[in-house]
Amino acid sequence: MKYVDEFRDAKLGQVLAGEILAEVDPHRHYKVMEVCGGHTHSIYKYGIDDLLPDNVELVHGPGCPVCVIPMGRVDDGIAIARQEGVIFTSFGDMLRVPGSQYTLLDAKAHGADVRMVYSPLDALRIARENPEREVVFFAIGFETTAPSTALTLKRARDEGISNFSCICNHVTIVPPLKALLESPDLRLDGFIGPGHVCTVVGARPFEFIPADYGRPVVISGFEPLDVMQSVLMILRQLSFGRCEVENQYTRVVPREGNLRALEVMSEVFELRPHFEWRGLGFISQSALKLSDAYREFDAEQRFEVPGVRVADPKACQCGEVLKGVIKPWECKVFGTACTPEHAIGTCMVSPEGACAAYYNFWRYARQKETA
Amino acid sequence: MRIVELHEGEAVCVDQDGASHKVAVELLDTVRPGERILVHAGVAIGAVT
Repeated sequence: MKYVDEFRDAKLGQVLAGEILAEVDPHRHYKVMEVCGGHTHSIYKYGIDDLLPDNVELVHGPGCPVCVIPMGRVDDGIAIARQEGVIFTSFGDMLRVPGSQYTLLDAKAHGADVRMVYSPLDALRIARENPEREVVFFAIGFETTAPSTALTLKRARDEGISNFSCICNHVTIVPPLKALLESPDLRLDGFIGPGHVCTVVGARPFEFIPADYGRPVVISGFEPLDVMQSVLMILRQLSFGRCEVENQYTRVVPREGNLRALEVMSEVFELRPHFEWRGLGFISQSALKLSDAYREFDAEQRFEVPGVRVADPKACQCGEVLKGVIKPWECKVFGTACTPEHAIGTCMVSPEGACAAYYNFWRYARQKETA
Repeated sequence: MRIVELHEGEAVCVDQDGASHKVAVELLDTVRPGERILVHAGVAIGAVT
């Protein structure tokens, strides 16, 4: 298939692997962070890290939207889902994220009307079909997914649908990147930029990384050759002493982003003063809430929610995994108490989570074999 | 996904496995059947060129 097969060509992959090998300084260790769960998934699915020299290390950042949701927000969702007359909707992964006591799927098993949707537009359709019920959509995701929620709320308002609301957990990628760059724990040499986020926001929001922190960024596609070419572009910037935002994913990402999507988002959302990220704590202006114009659709205004901060389970090290401080298999409960079937931490829930990606593609078994 | 048909702000698209999907396309400028688009959560957010 066009745009897929040519980016999975094994021979071209070997050529790129050779070019990467030729580019690295054997006396230097390179740490490159990807900040999109789609890249993490692709890296493990295709074994991209096996094709890189030993001194080029890929580190996984906080790019999986399900992974960064703190337990307290899950509890807020469950509290709404349990209310009489509510139909509670969200994406499939979100329903499996543990709160302090259980998941939204557990709440469904206990009688709550919790439904999986593919799109917030599906939730709006459910609201149209059930005018006597309150339909709530638990919105998560970065700037990639926020346009779909914004468009849905705009349609709800235009159609005068009053039994639909949204608990907004949309987050933005730049503030956590700043937090990571300020962290003394982590020395990074460059970033693989989130291609789909950039489709919406463009390249400009990432220019502070080379300008203020002296680290190159290459906005990347998600097929294996995209990721390998992006690694090569980062290494070449480092070799030649360049430091800028480059766009490898030119077939999709325009430099200015999607202006129409940004316009709808700015109408529907505004920045929260602060928001809690799993593992990263509270980060200023790192998440979205509904604007005053859409306040009537805000589930946090319509329903009572506990709003209580809940500490992560002590055994779980999702925070360190999300910051790239440890690898998934270095977590104390990885692959034993915490598996995709019985996840303790969020990183084991979504296929885009680093732990689930490691586990699902048998990286854990291979790691043990080579240990 | 590839656009097969367009109807009032919505497109019928097929994904790489041949499955059919309804997609909202109002966040894109002009789109035409045969074009490829990037879709997230039922909404097209970018064109593939």
